[in-house]
Amino acid sequence: MITFAAVSKWFDSLQVLREISFQVAQGEIVSIVGPSGVGKTTILRLIAGLIQPDEGRVEVVDAVQGYVFQEPRLLPWRTALDNVAAPLRAQGCSKRQARSLAADWLARVELAGFEHYHPAELSGGMAQRVSIARAFAVQPRILLMDEPFSNMDVELKASLLVLLQRLIRQLGTTVVYVTHELLEALQLADRLLELTPERDLREVELSDRAAVARAWLAKIQPLL
Amino acid sequence: MASTTAARESVPKGSDARGSGPRGSGRGPGPRGRRRRLLFGVAGGVAILVGWQLLSVVVNPAILASPVQTAIALGELASGSTLWIQVLITLRRLVIGLAVGAAAGATLGVVAGLEPRLRSFFEPFRWVGMTIPAVVIAVLAMLWFGLGDFTVMFIVALIVLPTMYVNTMAGVLAIDQKLVEMGHVYRFPRRLLLTEIYLPGVASPALAGLTLATGIGVRAVVLAEVLAAMSGVGHAFSRAMSYLETPKLYAWVVVLLALMAVIEFGFLRPVKRRALRWRKATE
Ligand SMILES: Nc1ncnc2c1ncn2[C@@H]1O[C@H](COP(=O)(O)OP(=O)(O)OP(=O)(O)O)[C@@H](O)[C@H]1O
Ligand SMILES: [Mg+2]
Repeated sequence: MITFAAVSKWFDSLQVLREISFQVAQGEIVSIVGPSGVGKTTILRLIAGLIQPDEGRVEVVDAVQGYVFQEPRLLPWRTALDNVAAPLRAQGCSKRQARSLAADWLARVELAGFEHYHPAELSGGMAQRVSIARAFAVQPRILLMDEPFSNMDVELKASLLVLLQRLIRQLGTTVVYVTHELLEALQLADRLLELTPERDLREVELSDRAAVARAWLAKIQPLL
Repeated sequence: MASTTAARESVPKGSDARGSGPRGSGRGPGPRGRRRRLLFGVAGGVAILVGWQLLSVVVNPAILASPVQTAIALGELASGSTLWIQVLITLRRLVIGLAVGAAAGATLGVVAGLEPRLRSFFEPFRWVGMTIPAVVIAVLAMLWFGLGDFTVMFIVALIVLPTMYVNTMAGVLAIDQKLVEMGHVYRFPRRLLLTEIYLPGVASPALAGLTLATGIGVRAVVLAEVLAAMSGVGHAFSRAMSYLETPKLYAWVVVLLALMAVIEFGFLRPVKRRALRWRKATE
């Protein structure tokens, strides 16, 4: 479904990815964690075909993609409703059909009543939910999510995670999910990939999730 | 459900701080600040009238008519049909010339913004168009097409075109590439990229360009009418000049300013407000 074979990527003289290899099977949910600036977003952009690798090979089966960008990336001149509707129209829906579907999805991310707000009138978390609704609405076969639940409180995050899980089960969506929150990744992911500060990609064994969580908590404990 | 969500969102969070803007920086005018600024604007207008009146006392009336004389001449003009006919003639030329020039400039600007090779190709044309004095264009157009309606509209269109072109092109180049990426991810067809991303993104600089172009267009139409027409406000102005009808001359100047005001407040501002409604929230 998604294959990275010895992929390297430079930005000018800065090597961001160093011979990264991994595969994601159809319907798999893979989480990528790692510190800031290590190249997580770059991996998603490679999968989306927005950039090309300098070395190695990226293979992605041609499929409808949904992408929750790290920032909401909404059309500032369109309402929340029309932001969600636009990709549906790209898929060939009529304007009316697209809007009615879009309204459904906005309701599902708890934004009923905000259909006619412009992005500038929404809070950061609300705008991010519009972006999530937009990604789900296209019924993607591949869903790329870049820290989708930042800016959101715990309850909202939990309800969106449930929604996400349902969607994934319904559509058999392949998910690549970038997050800083290991616990979130543990809740959702089939597999966990860690980009280390040394720019290696490491697969974290998930047979004992509790142990992984404990190790994580031990790591952040000094901060508590 | 919406209300619970709204309540939840209203809990102050780091990310929500962005909405509060530069409060207290003195930029945001309260109702009082706005009224005070309006007062200063009115004072400036009054200063022009007073200065004009004072000057007209000391300067030879053959050169400078007083505001009162001008008003009387204006009244005489307005009581007959000449004024309105000339204004309509000029307005028609302006609107057609402006529409053609602005549409052509905007179209070429979009094309050039999207295609670097065409941008390079158009560059010499742009340079010539922006460098050549308006009066030279007018004289050449007279040479090619003689006097009359078409010549005036041609001149207006040609003078307006480069401004519109430059502004529109700048708008296309300033398009948010992240939004374009979003469009590619969701496989927007060309048409949708245009209507959802490019055109709205360009609308604001293009409208700024249109405002500029309209100002230039009014100057151009008057210039063209003075030189290359036997009718219109510009021609009437130049005739008043030849017959040394000084109050009338100034009356035509006032007519021109009024014409510009009508265009600005009756057309440009409402269009801008409508097209950029989504921005209100940001301001
Ligand atoms: N378009 C670009 N041009 C130049 N450098 C870039 C570009 N995109 C990313 N980089 C660099 O690549 C590195 C990795 O960036 P990336 O956005 O993938 O990090 P990230 O892991 O997503 O970080 P974060 O968790 O902070 O979002 C950074 O050092 C960044 O400066
Ligand atoms: Mg990132």
